[in-house]
Amino acid sequence: MKHIARALMPIFLLLVLLLSACDDGYSTTPAPSSPAATQPPATAAAANPFASVPAIVNPSNLGWPREVKSSNGSTVTIKAKPERIITLSVGHDEITLALVPANRLVAVSSSTKNAAFSNVADLVKGAATIGREPEVILAQRPDVMFSSSLLAATLVDAVSKAGIAVVQTELKNDHQDRINQILLAGYIYGEEKRATDFAREVDQRFTAVQAIVKNKAVSARQRVGSYTLFSDKLYTAGKNSTEGSIIENAGGANVAAEAGLERNPTINYEAVITMRPDIIIIAQPPDGAEPFRKSLLANAVISDVPAVKSGKVYLVDPLLFTTLSHYNVRGVEELAKILWPSDFAGKEFPPFSKPAQ
Amino acid sequence: MVAATLRRAGAYREARVTTRLALGALALLALLLAVSLVSLTMGPVKIPLSHVGSVVLSWLGLDASEATKTEQLVVEQLRMPRIIAGALVGAALGASGAVMQGLFRNPMADPGIIGVSSGGAVGAVLAIAFGVHSAFYLALPTFAFLGALGAAFLVYGIALAGGRFSMATLLLAGIAVSSFLGAIVSTVLVVVPRNDALREILFWLAGGLDGRTWEHVRIALPMILGGMVLMLAYARDLNLLMMGDDEARSLGVRVGVARPVIITAAALATGTAVAVAGIISFVGLVVPHILRLIFGPDNRILVPLSALGGAVFVVLADTLARTIIQPAEFRVGILTSLVGAPFFIFLLLRNKRHAESL
Repeated sequence: MKHIARALMPIFLLLVLLLSACDDGYSTTPAPSSPAATQPPATAAAANPFASVPAIVNPSNLGWPREVKSSNGSTVTIKAKPERIITLSVGHDEITLALVPANRLVAVSSSTKNAAFSNVADLVKGAATIGREPEVILAQRPDVMFSSSLLAATLVDAVSKAGIAVVQTELKNDHQDRINQILLAGYIYGEEKRATDFAREVDQRFTAVQAIVKNKAVSARQRVGSYTLFSDKLYTAGKNSTEGSIIENAGGANVAAEAGLERNPTINYEAVITMRPDIIIIAQPPDGAEPFRKSLLANAVISDVPAVKSGKVYLVDPLLFTTLSHYNVRGVEELAKILWPSDFAGKEFPPFSKPAQ
Repeated sequence: MVAATLRRAGAYREARVTTRLALGALALLALLLAVSLVSLTMGPVKIPLSHVGSVVLSWLGLDASEATKTEQLVVEQLRMPRIIAGALVGAALGASGAVMQGLFRNPMADPGIIGVSSGGAVGAVLAIAFGVHSAFYLALPTFAFLGALGAAFLVYGIALAGGRFSMATLLLAGIAVSSFLGAIVSTVLVVVPRNDALREILFWLAGGLDGRTWEHVRIALPMILGGMVLMLAYARDLNLLMMGDDEARSLGVRVGVARPVIITAAALATGTAVAVAGIISFVGLVVPHILRLIFGPDNRILVPLSALGGAVFVVLADTLARTIIQPAEFRVGILTSLVGAPFFIFLLLRNKRHAESL
């Protein structure tokens, strides 16, 4: 019997290996040799929300100095709680001002001050307006730069050499990344409590919409096209675009993504005919939005498109639909109201909470 | 006896010119028609060839009603004006390129040499940066047109300063003014605070025919045709100007009239093309050059054939631009350079090898 068991042992081990190789990652049986896997991730995140943020080197270190990983691959040390912050990115500015008093954001780019592109223009009126020259940035004496991954390497190098902690991150369209960015910013700024509370607030609002729209049948989902017109060029929002992800999260089907389009390409009106959206949303500044809506409704070429035929062409707030930040959750709420009017009847969505000034 | 022989030789030469022009024009017209018909059948909306044909016939006033309403609108209101606008732009750039190469006696000259492209760019870029482009439908083409003509007249004015015209000054003034205007465009790109405006400017600079309507055709048609009629009318004078001012004068050319008329005609046509389609490079350089290799340097043949060749080239490039990544659009200006430049280099190398083997 023992011999048979010994003979069968390699086969059994081989089977175990094969089965573990076929594991889809969602197995409910944790691997016994991995201590991290014995603790469900949700529990770990509840105990320390920063544990779910990949860019934080040691989430249990809530003292100073602390280390984070920048998107350029470097590990950045933040020596002490930063009082003077610069980001040079509208999305990062919006996240920052959800966590810290406005006076800690010492300078911004002109885009953040422009109410046509920024949700926080009224909060940064007193901040200096700067460009992307290292000397101008250094003149503001920032303690930290929490900025976009698109920042030029030469600028990052120059500012870093002056002893300023530069952390670059890539803002993405998915909700978990949105939450992670808030937590990472809070960790960098030494505002752990506010970041945890605010991440929870944003997550709860997003989850509340998802609880309604995720259960909708695929056949019930309306087909949505997001179009904008600048001068004479017609743009749409495909897969991996901010508007596209908002459409999906609000329970709509993005017609441009279905057509195989990525991000925000230019198209022509023939493409609108082939996409046949049930609803059209226009996320562009008001000066051009209403004339564009009228021109769509009056355009004979696309008069058979369901959205045009039924007059379902809506202007939406471009500030909630374009810049990548937690304001996209407001975009999801507003679009869900348009797509599922009976489910969201009478529902008003308040502004996000603000940090103590 | 000698006079009769000379007359016969002249008549023979004229007949040869007419024959070559007719043959070339017929071939290019047939090609333009074929490319335009193929272009009419292509696009995101799949329309059967017979339906496209019936729309074209009904547009020409012949009874045909096979197509659906949407198909008719797509062909009539989207594809046809775009193809015609493309043909006009190509014709303007091709003819102007031939004229500029003749005038400067330099095969590397193109319509942009007198500052038209950079002037148009400044007009368009300022319109976008200050938001004027969205104020009314044709604001952008209007600004681009004014910029293009303004730059051309400035360059010509500099060349004419002191009452004595100089081709060398015209060339250098064109380079200097273009450089200055390029700096203005760069300045606007650096200081413009809006990302959407930046994107618009870059798109405009890359050239394109998306969204062109019958309104664009109606405005461009008389300007471009007017410019081309003048260029064709002065094609013989241009031949003589290529021999030098004194020779041209001795053969009866009113140099003081012919040259400004030719330059104004080229500026009018190119300025309108730039206003309608942005900057579409390489057409004005490569098309006349290729046709010169085939049909020779006589401007009476070269200018009209360059117009037709330019029209074929731009319609073809635009068809590719709106179909290769459909339903998204590519930029025509990028495509003309991507396709035109390697083809041009191939022709140059082949021509060089051919010359060396002789």
